[in-house]
Amino acid sequence: MDINVAIVGYRMQSAPDLVTSRERLVFELTRGLFDDLGIERTDVDTTILDSNDFMDGRTISNVFIDPPAGVYMRDESKVEMDAANAVIYACMRILTGQYDTAMVVGIALTGSQASPYLYIEYTLNPTYERQVKLLNEVNAAAFQARSYIDRFGYSERLLDDIAALSLANAALNPNQARRISGITADKVAASAMYYEPLRELHCYPPTDGGCALLLASERKAKELTDKPVWIKGMGMSTETYYLGERKLYQSSSAAEAAQRAYELAGVKKPAQEIDVAEISALFAHQEPLLAEAMGLMGEGKAEQAYAAGETAIGGKLPINPSGGALGAHPVSVTGLMRVAEAARQLRGEAGDNQVKKAELAVVHGQDGVCAQQNAVLVLGI
Amino acid sequence: MEETRVVQGTWDISTFKFRIEGVGLRRMLDGMKEGKLVGTRCHKCGTVYLPGPFYCRKCHIEINEPTEVSDHGEIMTYTIGYADVRGNPLDEPRIAPVVKLDGCDSWIMGVLQGVKPEDVHVGMRVKVQWAEERTGSLQDMAYYVPE
Ligand SMILES: [Zn+2]
Repeated sequence: MDINVAIVGYRMQSAPDLVTSRERLVFELTRGLFDDLGIERTDVDTTILDSNDFMDGRTISNVFIDPPAGVYMRDESKVEMDAANAVIYACMRILTGQYDTAMVVGIALTGSQASPYLYIEYTLNPTYERQVKLLNEVNAAAFQARSYIDRFGYSERLLDDIAALSLANAALNPNQARRISGITADKVAASAMYYEPLRELHCYPPTDGGCALLLASERKAKELTDKPVWIKGMGMSTETYYLGERKLYQSSSAAEAAQRAYELAGVKKPAQEIDVAEISALFAHQEPLLAEAMGLMGEGKAEQAYAAGETAIGGKLPINPSGGALGAHPVSVTGLMRVAEAARQLRGEAGDNQVKKAELAVVHGQDGVCAQQNAVLVLGI
Repeated sequence: MEETRVVQGTWDISTFKFRIEGVGLRRMLDGMKEGKLVGTRCHKCGTVYLPGPFYCRKCHIEINEPTEVSDHGEIMTYTIGYADVRGNPLDEPRIAPVVKLDGCDSWIMGVLQGVKPEDVHVGMRVKVQWAEERTGSLQDMAYYVPE
């Protein structure tokens, strides 16, 4: 990319219930971000807001969160997909040469004020799946999980191991909503069965949350921080809506999105070159499934990789050292939080979640039923 | 098209909660019970909002300074409605002005009575007609009448 774009600051928070209004959440995130960087709202050249109208309960929901984000008489646009896409959009705006700074703000009160599962129900085709009344987000994910573990002959225990690792990482992370102390695979296996093979702790928790991130051109980034995190590559891809037209045990769109991002970043062997991955796995099985698609794990190697601790914080290629989306999934904000968590790693600010060598990261966000749409970014220092 | 069909769908919108910042609204309703209009003033730029938000749109800082504004003001714009918001015809035309109350920067809409539709004009001075029994609700500010 001709113009270099960096992440220069971030703020995020999540909880089962943040006990706040949509407006206050946005105000506190952005005010905090401005104070961190010593800037004011007029220093932000353009803002991309990310909120989901259905979850928000208001159409064109950005009009209500513009002013608390400091967007009064300022340049603003909106993304209504996972906010990893909003980061890509904001980066593109800087790449036009028209803007030196671009802020991304995403919020969702899908823990306390609206049901996340209802949202997916309403993304279903009203003239077919909704009429059949067999599909919601969790049983769609269960179809995908069964297809994946059956394909490679894995045991259901793999799901418990993946979830236990994510949740143990989440317990260390103050940014996460679901923090269970002393989590083990046995405790995961004892949680309520939703749709076989998926249990409660294999699935994301309903979460309130928000994240604000500032991007800047190279010139501006150097004024604002001595720890810029560069966006080295990005890619998106979408596959067919109908589950029946996809091979559910793999994600060809995540693979394509990753390929695009790696090409831009000059990454040839991701499993060797990438130091840390933050993947929006909303359900336990999606972590290895997406890691395979993104070239981070060999096909059929998941059981082996988790047993050897390869993806743990101290492992060969840590995946979701933050605890990932099993720790918090404010709908549509999750990919943005993955970007912020990766920046936190690359800046060496990840505290108990810090991986040893963090110079090149890959980040993933997803949208739609069973990750129909995928966005991937490569970040580096 | 060779064949089109209509499939009946539903869109259940009854399942949201909106937690809101209560201070500005409570301040306004408490004041209305006393027959006063109380907004919030930005201590930095001086903008007066009614009802008061918790932050200033312009300064992007938290604000919380109560300020009484007048119940007299000027019509900034208006419309005469012949139907309710869902399009159902009204028995009588309804005059709905948007009023800039003296000492307030935001404009407040309401209903105007005591004047014929043909006599309403922008710039017209009006005042709030308070409800006889005030309960601390938005209905306390019953309607506007000419000053
Ligand atoms: Zn102000």
